[in-house]
Parts: sequence; C-alpha cells; structure tokens
Amino acid sequence: MSSWLDYTINGLIVGNVYALVAVGLALIFGVSRLINFAQGSIYLVGAYIGWVAVVQLHTPLPLTIIVVAVAAAIVGLIIERFGLRPLQNSVRIAPLLATIGISFVLDQLVMLTFSPNPRALPSQLPDVRFQVGGGTIGPLDLLIAGVGLTSAFLLFVFLRYSKLGWAVRAASQDRDAAMQMGVDVNRVNQAVFGIAAALGGVSGMLVGMYYNQIDTAMSLQATLKGVVAEVVGGAGNVPGAVIGSLLLGLVESYGVAVFGTSYRNLFAFLLLVVVLVLRPNGLFASARQAPPEPLTGTFIAPSRPVRIPHWALAVAAAGFALLPLFPVSFYVLQTLINAWLLGMLALSLTLVAGTMGQVSLGHAALLAIGAYTSALLSLTLNVPVGLAVIGGGLMSAALGTLLISPSFRLRGHYVSIATLAIGEIVSLVILNWESVTRGPIGISGIPPLSLFGYDLISPTSIYWFSFAVMVVLALLQGRLLGSHLGRSFRAIRDDDIAARAYGLSLNRYKSLAFIFGGFAAGVSGGIAAHLYSYINHETFNTQQSILALTVVILGGLGNVVGAMLGAVALVGLPEVFRVAAEYRILIYGIVLLLLVRFRPQGLLGTM
Amino acid sequence: MTNPAPEPLLALSNVNTFYGQAQVHFDLSITVARGHIVCLLGGNASGKSTTMKIILGLVKPRSGEVSFDGASLIGLTTPQIVRRGIASVPEARRLFADMSVRENILMGAFVRNDREAIAQDLDKMLTLFPKLGQRLAQRAGSLSGGEQQMVAMARALMSRPRMIVMDEPTMGLSPLYVDRVLELIRTINREGVSVFMVEQNASLALEIAHEAYVLQTGKIVLSGPARALKDDPRIRDAYLGGSEAA
Repeated sequence: MSSWLDYTINGLIVGNVYALVAVGLALIFGVSRLINFAQGSIYLVGAYIGWVAVVQLHTPLPLTIIVVAVAAAIVGLIIERFGLRPLQNSVRIAPLLATIGISFVLDQLVMLTFSPNPRALPSQLPDVRFQVGGGTIGPLDLLIAGVGLTSAFLLFVFLRYSKLGWAVRAASQDRDAAMQMGVDVNRVNQAVFGIAAALGGVSGMLVGMYYNQIDTAMSLQATLKGVVAEVVGGAGNVPGAVIGSLLLGLVESYGVAVFGTSYRNLFAFLLLVVVLVLRPNGLFASARQAPPEPLTGTFIAPSRPVRIPHWALAVAAAGFALLPLFPVSFYVLQTLINAWLLGMLALSLTLVAGTMGQVSLGHAALLAIGAYTSALLSLTLNVPVGLAVIGGGLMSAALGTLLISPSFRLRGHYVSIATLAIGEIVSLVILNWESVTRGPIGISGIPPLSLFGYDLISPTSIYWFSFAVMVVLALLQGRLLGSHLGRSFRAIRDDDIAARAYGLSLNRYKSLAFIFGGFAAGVSGGIAAHLYSYINHETFNTQQSILALTVVILGGLGNVVGAMLGAVALVGLPEVFRVAAEYRILIYGIVLLLLVRFRPQGLLGTM
Repeated sequence: MTNPAPEPLLALSNVNTFYGQAQVHFDLSITVARGHIVCLLGGNASGKSTTMKIILGLVKPRSGEVSFDGASLIGLTTPQIVRRGIASVPEARRLFADMSVRENILMGAFVRNDREAIAQDLDKMLTLFPKLGQRLAQRAGSLSGGEQQMVAMARALMSRPRMIVMDEPTMGLSPLYVDRVLELIRTINREGVSVFMVEQNASLALEIAHEAYVLQTGKIVLSGPARALKDDPRIRDAYLGGSEAA
C-alpha cells in the first residue's frame, strides 16, 4: 500500500513538472496555433542556467528560481522575435519547422558550451523525508508542488484580471477579432512566449534538482512529454494542459510501478496515440473552436519546380556511377554511401510529407523496422542478405503503414505529433521486446551485404549497390508521381475535402503512400544494418527523422531529384568542409532555419 | 448625384486588391460622409467583405488610397487603425466564445484606459441592449445568434468609435432581430457614429442607409443616395449578374 502512495506522489510531482512545460505549449498553441518544438530546449537551457547559478554563482534557491525564469524568458522572447515573427505570413508548416530548427540550435549550443556529459544539479534543500500517510514526501517534492501551484495561480490572475491577459485569451479564441478590438497580436505573442519560456526554464531546473542530474538529452524528452500532456488536455487549453500533465505523470508512475522504468515513455506515447485517435481535440476540448488547420492546401510552400532535363540527370547519374573507377578516396565513397542511404529515406519522406502532405517526424522508425527485420532475418533465419533487405523493406511498408494508420484521420500539425509519437513507440518497443529484439543490448554480428552469394565488402561494391538501389527507387517514384496515383496524392494534400468530394478514399491513398515510402525507408534501414553490423534501439533516432526532413525541405518537398540532391548536400558538404561532428547538428538546425525563412520551396522547388 | 455632401470621414480611392493572381477590387472608390450610414451591396464573391478587411487593415491593397478623417490608413496595422476610431462588427459576430458576455463587451474598450468612463459606458450599453443585463456572466458562445449580434454591437461601441464598419449585421438572424438590429444601427448613427455596412439584403439596408454602393465582381456598378436606389431595377440586375445569369 505504502508504495502506491509513493507512486501517486511521484506521479503528481512529475506531472507538476510536465504541467509547467505543457501550460506554456498550450498558451503558445492557443495564440498562434503552433506546437513549439523548442519548448524542451528552453527547459534544457533553464536547467543549465540553474546549474551555473547554483554551482558557480552559489545563489540561494529563491534567487536561482528568479534568475532561471528571467533568463529563460529572455531566450523565449528572442525566439519569438527573430525565429517566428518573420514567418507570420508564410505557410502553416514554416513556424513548426522553425521551432524544430531552433531546438537543434539551442540544444547544440548548450552541448558545445557545457559538454554532453551529465552534471549534478544540487537542490540546496535538506535531504529529509517526512512520513505522510503510508508514503514519504521530501522538501523538493513540496518545492515542486509549490512552484506548480504558484505558477498556476499567477497565470490565472494574469489571464483573468490583467489587460494583457485578456488580450491573450481573446487572441487565442479569435485572432482577427482580437486585432479588431485593437489587440496587438505581436505583443500577445511576446507575452506568451516569455511566460512559456519562464515556466519551461524553471521546470527544467526543478527536474534537474529532482534527479540531481542534467544532460542535453533532456530537451527532446521534455518537448515530447509536454506535447503529450498538452494534446491529451486539448491543444490550446491551459487548464486542460495541467490536468493532462498530472494524468500523464500518474499514468507513467503507475506504469513504472507495474512494468518497470524502461516502460515509462511507452505509456506516455501510447496515451497520446489513444487520445489522438479517440479524441483528437483532447479530453477537455471546448465544443466550439476554430479549425486548427486551413482547409485548403496552404500547408506546403507553392512553387514552380526547377525542371532538370533528362539528359542532365542521366549525365549526373552516370558521373556518380563511374565515380569509383576514378582514384577517389575511401572516405569520399563512404560519405556518398551515407548520402545514398539518406537519399532513400528522403525519397520516402518527400513522398509522404511533400507529395502527400503528411509531415512525418518519426520517419526513423521505418528505418529501424527495416533494419531489425533484415538483421534478424539474416541472423536467426539465415535468409540471404539480399532477400533479407527486401524483407526489411516489405516489413517496414506493412508495419509502418499499419502503425501510422490510426493517424490518417488527423491533419497538419497533429500528423506530425502522431508520427513523432509512433516513432518513439517503435524505438521503445524495440527496447523492451527483449525476446525478439534483444532489448538494450542491441543486435551485433549482422552479416555484411551480399548479393547472389557474393559478399559486398569493398567500399566500391557497397557504393554501387546502394547507389543502384536508390536510383531504382527514385525512378519508380518518378513514375508513380506521373501517374494518376501521384495526382491523387497531390489532390489530397492540397485539399482533402475537395479530394474526398471527388470520391478519393483518403485512407487508401495515404496507405499507398506510406506503403511505398515505408518500403524505400525500410530498404535503407536494412542496408544500413548490414553495413554497420551492429544496431540498437537508438541507432535510428528522432535526430535522423529531423535530418531527413531537413534534406527533403532543402531539396524541395515532393521533389524526387531534390531529395537526392539534398541528401548529397547535407551529408557531403559538412564532410567537404571537415566540420567537426559536434557542430553538424548545429549546422543542420541553422540550415533548416534559413531554408524556412528564405527558401521554403527548397533548392529545386516543391512539386 | 451631386448632393452637397458633408466632408467625407472615410474615403477609399482607386483601390486595387489581389488575392495572389486574382484581382478582387478594380479601382474601387467609396466615400462615407461624416454622420452618414453607407451600405455596400453585392452578391456573393463580389468583394464586399474584402472591402471591409481593407478598411480595417486586415488585407493590404496593392494600390490605391484609404484615408480616415483626412489621414491615410495605408501601412497602419489593424490595432493602429482601431485606435484612430474605427470599430467593427465582423461577419458572423466573431465573439470571444469562451469569454463571458461582460468580458466580450469590455474587450471593445481595449484601446481605452479611462476606467471610470468605461464602467459608465458599460452601463450605457445595458440600457441600449437591456437583454444583455441578465447575460453578463454567461459564456458568449452560449447566446443565441441575435443576442450575439447585440454583444458584437455593444463591443464595437465600447471603443467610442467615430465610425463602425459592419459585415452583414443581419445575416442569420430571425426577422424579429433583423428589425431590432436595423433600429439599433439607426440609434447608434443618431448619436453621431458614422456607419459603413456591407449587406446582401439590399431592401433592408437601403431602408436605413443614406448612401449606397453596389459592388459586382470587384467594381462599383451603381451608387447614389439610398432613397434613389431603392426602386432602381438595376439593383436587382446587379445582384443576379445581369440578364445572362438570371
């Protein structure tokens, strides 16, 4: 019994922390209909500012909280002013992508400043625990509860009694009407970002103290948890976000109690998917709300794609095919092999996100499914590697489509959240399904690539193999886009209601897109598994999903040639300029930000 | 046509508006005289609502001039324009559904800071719209369409505007409320507020307006004193798009 009370207390405390993140997300979503993927980065920044304050400046606790809140708020204001305000009139997806880019940049800056090694963040509170009923509670628990309640109270007073608070509420209910009352929406945005960032930063600091450890991996986790809590509570609904957070904290805590720690996140994401499928507007959605997405196709930057003559493509392909015959270094070939693998993933994503309009943030899961299938087929069932890779592609196509199918009824940003969650779920299932996936140990000793009994071990042969596979997939996809199927995809992307009115079955076409895309990504993952010879649940992570998305946007959403060009550019250029690995993510983030701001249609234009 | 018109409060001259490639307004020129009710008539997709958005700065014209009380509104943001003294009753009311009726009305006074006068004006609204008195604490979204229209009008008046622009104030209302709304517009106007309203219902609008303009696919095809236009057969033609569409 006593332990259950402890788990309840723990769940509520953790829920309190999530609430601080989720409330900020809800405020921002309310006003700008934007899911701020940089929220976790602000939380990270808050944790490290807290560390600097406590460990280096020896500030007393109340001052630490103020310092963190103010510094984080300033970061939030900067993000709003320079990252998002310039995008006010761009396509709907632009601010979302910008926040992803900003989160990459912030996380990397923290990592470069403080090193990726975890640090201890002492709480400055006496380490005692009081008996309460059958459980125990410590001063830090009380602090977190106190901060949570105080913030909720202040926020309530602000929204209910201040003029700016009224403006925030009005703008989140009807932005245009609020402007017609004289509300300056930029100021509202500023206020909301400042508040969200202050709460998020303090939350990060409290979590650091709670676990007495901070590291740079906190960021993504916090964003994900905050998004889960916010969506569960009903996007944009502030009290809903608090309840969603507490619910999430409890579900996780009880889940951990029953199944173990490694299941913690699985419950969070399952909760999210269940809520998205059953009640996409959240548990506490208000009855009447402006539709969160425009009904017609303004989601993708419209543009005229750059037409590249066939002969030029043929020449380029021939050039790359003949490249290994020239005395190029192993290093160059290796880099290009990586580019081809990423190119396959990008082909898949450009179809799904660009042509079909389903901006997936969990595409690495398709790689993982392909990789594990291929590795396990060849290792445990002795299937020839060539066939195993195809098996990986098929499994990815089937399982990926099946997993994503509950989100087919969702739109816009919700698709991105759902795919992100599904990606995390795949990774967590791999982690926990030890009997099949070998759990956290991962799979080692995966046989090398082979084709018809010949091992492909030399870089040259691997290069040709992966290049050929990518080109074949690209040609197939080109055919697909030219067919009536491709037109149907684009019709659904541009206006799904109109498409439905013309008799197109959304589910069928979305499935087809994911089947084709899943196959390409699965093949890429399968080849990668045999190249790396070792994979685990973290080999294919969200960072890769985002990298693929950056590649696709760089090339031009939906653009087949663009996907391959983008892959070569993003993998190749850092190598050419010998950029140190830890700066690469930073560069990807900056590239994404610049693209969104200055060339949302990418290098070759959207199709 | 050459009335000794009072000095114009609002003037749009040669406004050209585009949505992407599509042109919405062709050299649109409209004036609203001080103290007058002016209505803009037109069928669907004639560019009526866009005209309102142009005045409020929600849409920027590609060329042309919009001036209010002699000063240009071009380049100003919507909140800045509101502060110049233009209030709006948007299409379909657009109340803040989850805020109370009281909060909605007070949102209209967002640009003001004179607390006591605001409180007095709120009382004044309750005499003007007595029904709202019992509804003050209620969620605005829970009111009927007619009641919502009252709230929207009270909200617009709370900024003590010199002019109110209204987008189809009678749309979707029961006949009883339509008369009530028209009467209120007259009342508001008598107190010195100029009104620019966009309407589909020509006969109703012409009853209370001083001047009227008829907009057809972005061009003014007819204009003049409302009294003169009332019986003009061309009004009907303009609506039905000429003999071809009829």
